Amino acid sequence: MGQNENLEGLMQQALAGDQAAYAKALHATAQLLRPFLSKRLLFANDVDDVLQEILVSIHKARHTYDGQRPFIPWVYAIAKFRLQDYLRTHYADQLKQAVDIADLENDLHEDVTETGISYESISGEIQKLPEKQATILQLIHQEGYTSKEVAVKLGMNESAVKVAAHRAYKVLRKRLEEI
Amino acid sequence: MKDIDNLIGQLAQEGGAVKAAPHPLALSLKWMALSAAYLLVLLLVSGARNELAATFQHPWFAIEVVLLVAVFVVTSVSAALLSFPDLYQMRRALWMPLAVFSVFAFVLFMAWRADVPPAPFPVHGYECTLAILMVALFPGAWMLYFMRKLASTHYQWAGSIALLHAFSVGALWLRLQENNDSILHVLQWHYLPMIGFGILGLWVGKLILKW
Repeated sequence: MGQNENLEGLMQQALAGDQAAYAKALHATAQLLRPFLSKRLLFANDVDDVLQEILVSIHKARHTYDGQRPFIPWVYAIAKFRLQDYLRTHYADQLKQAVDIADLENDLHEDVTETGISYESISGEIQKLPEKQATILQLIHQEGYTSKEVAVKLGMNESAVKVAAHRAYKVLRKRLEEI
Repeated sequence: MKDIDNLIGQLAQEGGAVKAAPHPLALSLKWMALSAAYLLVLLLVSGARNELAATFQHPWFAIEVVLLVAVFVVTSVSAALLSFPDLYQMRRALWMPLAVFSVFAFVLFMAWRADVPPAPFPVHGYECTLAILMVALFPGAWMLYFMRKLASTHYQWAGSIALLHAFSVGALWLRLQENNDSILHVLQWHYLPMIGFGILGLWVGKLILKW
């Protein structure tokens, strides 16, 4: 409660043009919001990016705070707004880059043993893939697991396994063409 | 972390004295005064319907106009609240438009049931919607202009409520100006399009009020 009152006081001074009080208020706000964002975002870089966006938004919208009502709900309203905005954009980008699962079905049902290329013959190339992709291909093509079984074994969901496998095929195809 | 410190330093340097935005109630009073003055001028120019005072003797008409004024008031207050990131911490007040619109819909239903035998349906139709739209352009534009200066975190709802306020001005003007007693006509060409434009306001809000 004491800290909140302090924040409100600092913001009142900031609105009156006290730059030092404004800097203190923004520092305290950043400290307040960091754990809130860390709980909701996976990477520290993302936390920093969103925190910066929120601070800029607070700066732009500071005339909508009059120093009379509680400061924390005002700050959190802006923080949630910017976080949602960030997540919306982030997931929209991911959707654009996503691979349609239906496109993968054909690839995954291909019998690789009839293509003239065996797992063993390209195992060198497979080992150069990222560890997760290499493991998935090994489990599917060397040990004969289905993508569903691989998903259970690796603690992933089936779609993620298919996507990873599809990406691995693409890389392998490109490398083998170069050879 | 260093980036955050740099940013804070930069923002603090830019942070001179700022005039706080007016209280939302003061803001909504200002908007209502503007809209009411505009409505008055329109009525003076276009003239009111015949025997307006006598028409107010019909209870359903009087209640309808009173509720339309209530829509005019609550949409103005809600739009002002929605212009603040934290809704000025008066979240409950945002239910007012829903409550008023529910009563308004009920009154229109009752007026329709009481319209026996039905009043003659006017020859014109879409012209009414067009007239309301033309009248609503000004209040809609100035409300969105003022709201854009604030910082709505509910920009879609803010846009919708702003357009509903603007259309309530148009609907009030036409109801007091047009010689028409057909409730079906009013429903079809005045109020249903008003709801439609309220829905369109969701998009307008995203377009204009997003920051």
